[in-house]
Formats: sequence, structure tokens, C-alpha cells
Amino acid sequence: MIRFFHVSKFFDRCAALHDVTFRIDEGECVILSGPSGAGKTTLLRVIFGMEVPDDGQILVQNRNIARLHARDLPYLRRTIGFVPQNFQLLSQKTVYENVILPLIVQGVKRSEARRRVAATLQAVGIDHKQAIRAGVLSAGEQQRVCIARAIVTRPVIVLADEPTGNLDEELADEIIALFHTIHAQGTTVLLATHNQRVMAQMRGRVLQMRAGDVVSDKRMVT
Amino acid sequence: MRVWYLVRETLNNIRVHRGDVVIGIVTTAFALACFGVFLLLYLNLQHLAENLQSGIEVIAYLEPDASEQVVSEVHQRLRRDRAVVEVRVISKEQALRDFRRHFQRDALFLEEGNNPLPVSFVMKVRSPESVGEFVERVKRFSGVQHVQHSQEWLDKLAIVVSHFRLGAMVIGTILAVATATIIRNTVHLSLYTRREEIEILRLIGATGRFIAIPHVVEGAMLGAVGGGLSLVLLKVSFESVKSELLQAVQWFDGLERSLTFFPVPVSLLLVLAGMVLGCGSSLLSVRSLINVRS
Repeated sequence: MIRFFHVSKFFDRCAALHDVTFRIDEGECVILSGPSGAGKTTLLRVIFGMEVPDDGQILVQNRNIARLHARDLPYLRRTIGFVPQNFQLLSQKTVYENVILPLIVQGVKRSEARRRVAATLQAVGIDHKQAIRAGVLSAGEQQRVCIARAIVTRPVIVLADEPTGNLDEELADEIIALFHTIHAQGTTVLLATHNQRVMAQMRGRVLQMRAGDVVSDKRMVT
Repeated sequence: MRVWYLVRETLNNIRVHRGDVVIGIVTTAFALACFGVFLLLYLNLQHLAENLQSGIEVIAYLEPDASEQVVSEVHQRLRRDRAVVEVRVISKEQALRDFRRHFQRDALFLEEGNNPLPVSFVMKVRSPESVGEFVERVKRFSGVQHVQHSQEWLDKLAIVVSHFRLGAMVIGTILAVATATIIRNTVHLSLYTRREEIEILRLIGATGRFIAIPHVVEGAMLGAVGGGLSLVLLKVSFESVKSELLQAVQWFDGLERSLTFFPVPVSLLLVLAGMVLGCGSSLLSVRSLINVRS
């Protein structure tokens, strides 16, 4: 599903990723852990095509990200749900409008889109706020909307960057439970966090990063 | 669903960012009006020069005692000449009447039976460039005593017009580029405030075309309205300047005929220019925001 071959990425001669090699298979749940600045966000951005690696090769669903033409990138992104650290919601639009947007982009029929949005909002527990503008929601609610937007298209991979970073423990537990559900449905999940509590709750593989390197690759026992 | 979304999004963009849109329209209108003032000046001067040149007359005076046959022969030759557009005969009697009308009391010494004024021919020539050659030809006609024309003045006018045309091309190009730059920067600035929105659309897999369409349509509408507004500004200013000018220069009969506003095709072209500039600027700005890989 995702393969890294000796990937490096530099910002101003400083290595954000250094000779990273690993492989994630379909349906796996992988936690990227490590302190701030370890390279977790850069790794996710490289997978999503937001950054071009300076060295090495990355295959995502057998497509070489580094060589992918800019006009093909949107089509790859439609198969990946991305939950950014800062939510990135359209604050002037309602919860419903934010979540339906990826389906409009993909040209899904209106009736089908409505049905899917309703089901997804219910799944993330925010269906009662679908007519509210995203900008007035709490951080926890915005995080749920962001997750709903990422999974409404039924992507094969979900990338989440510190999805509990802005939340209190109780809300963080709920969000982690949500990712468990997404994973249980067969979606490959790659979640970046530096939160030990989140790591302890997640079942699956942990890639430990430090200074741009993957320093350990362990399977969590629960 | 996508088409409906794009239409709704275009209208929504205009509603939400109405401040930016108004600034864009006003800037476009003023930028196009500046170019329009120059274009109006150029077209009117060109028109005026053409009127003056087409109104140039050559007058051939016959000898005072020229016979009817000589008058008829000269008349026939002038009518056949390709350089002549129009020829009018001024008889001895007509010349005397004109003289008396112009000079009134000073013309009292001229009596009906003692008319020294010759028969003359007043001609309009096809092009100012051919006047010199034509005059030389007429001078050689038998019975022609004197040919009156203003070759030197015509030559100077031709030089001024050709220099003005060259200058107009240079200034016109500079103004057109400046206008396009002002409109592009205004649209770019307006779109820059919406870059987060564009980034989010890219995040969910929207193609460049999907992102660009509402902004390009908005840019085209902004440009067209700006172009229309510039026409209104130009028309109002033109009519005001025209009435002032006509009062100040009453001695020039042909001035009112020479001063004209843009014809309908040029007016439509100005609106179209606004539309194309708005549309193109939006497209370039959106592309510059989309092409950043993030």
C-alpha cells in the first residue's frame, strides 16, 4: 500500500527525513510516534503529495509520488483521507457543506452524497450540528468534522496528523475510538502522534521517529 | 451537482467578498477609463486630421479674358483627372457676388459691367499626398493663370499625424500593459485572501479546473462590469469636455462634426477587454496559487 525506499527530505539543508525505508500493507494501523520535529508531519505530507522528496522513491498504491504529474495528484488524493493538525475547515460554511464538499468534487450524485454525509456525520457523532457553521464549533467538534470530511469518500488510506493534539483526554479517547472503527472497516490508518496515552490505546504497529529517521518498528501488543 | 455547485459558489464568492469585488470593479473601471481617455483622444485627433485633410481645396484661377471654350475645356480635364474628387465652377458673376458679400463697402468700386474677377475652379483632391503633383499638372493647363493651395501646411500636418500615430502606438502599448498589470494585481490580491480556501479544496482532491472556474467567472464578471462603468465615466466626461470646447472654439465650424465618442463596436471592445483582463488575471492568479505543491 505504502512503500518508502531511502527517502530523504531537506529544508534549508536540515534533514526532515533521512534515508527512511519502510512498508505499510493494506489494512494496517500504524502509529508514527516521536517528539516534535522528528519528521512525522513531513512524512505524512510526502505521502499525500504535499512535499516532493529530495531523494528516494515513495510508492502509494503502486504510484510513484515523486514522479506523479501535478494534474494526477488530485485523483490520488481522492483515495486518501487527510486529517491535518489544524483542521483546515471552511469556517463560513456549515458542517454539512464542509463534509459534502469532497463528494461534490468527485461528482457523486446528490442523493447518494446526502445519504453518505448523513451516515458519516452520525458515525462521528456530530449529526446534530450539521446546520451550524464550522467556525463556531469547539475544537473537539471541529476535529470530528475534519475526520468526517476525510472518511466520507470511503478512502483506502487515512492519514491523521496529531488528531488529538488540541483535545482534552476524554475527547481524545473518543477520537481514538473513532479511528479504531475506521480501521476495523478495513481502511489503512497512519496516525502521527507524540501522545503516549494515544499510543497505548491504539492497537497496531508503531514506527518510532527521531531527527528524521525511523529508529524502531514495533507491533503493539494489547 | 458539480455545475450547480460552481454556479452557487461563484455567486457566493461575490456575496461574501463583496468589498473586494467592489474595489476590483472600481479599479478596473478607472484603469480602463485611463486607457479609454487616451484612445478617445487619439481617435478624435485622427478624425480631426482626416477631416482637415479631406477638406483641403485647390483653387485654379483662369485668365480674366478666358473664352467659354477654354472654360469648358479646363472643366472637362479637371473632371476627368483621377486626383480630383469634386470640382466646382465659380463663374465671373458668382465671384463678384462672393466678393461683394465678403467685402461689402470696399467692393463698391466694382461695377457689374467692369468685372475683373476671373472664372475659377474649386477642387477637392483625393489624397493630400498627391496635391503637389496635381497642382503642377494644372498649372500647365492652357488658360490657367494661377493655382492656389497650401502644400506646405499639408506636408506639416501629414508629418504631425504620422508622428502622433507612432507616439500613440508606444503610449497606447504602455497604457495597455499598465492597465492589465493594475487589474491583475487587484484580482491577485483579492484571491490571495482566499488562498486557505483554495488549499482546502486541493486537500480534498479538487482539480485545478474545479478550483479555478468560480474565480475565473467572477473575474470575467468583475472585468465586464468594470468595463461598462469605465464607458459611463468616459461618456459623461466626453460630453462635458465637448460642450466646453465647442463654446471656447466657436470659429471652427467642423469641430462638432470632428468630435465623436467611441462607435458601438469600440465600446463593446472596451467591455470585452475588461472581461478578458478580469478573466485572464483570475486564471493566472489561481494557477499561481494552485501550482504551489502543498
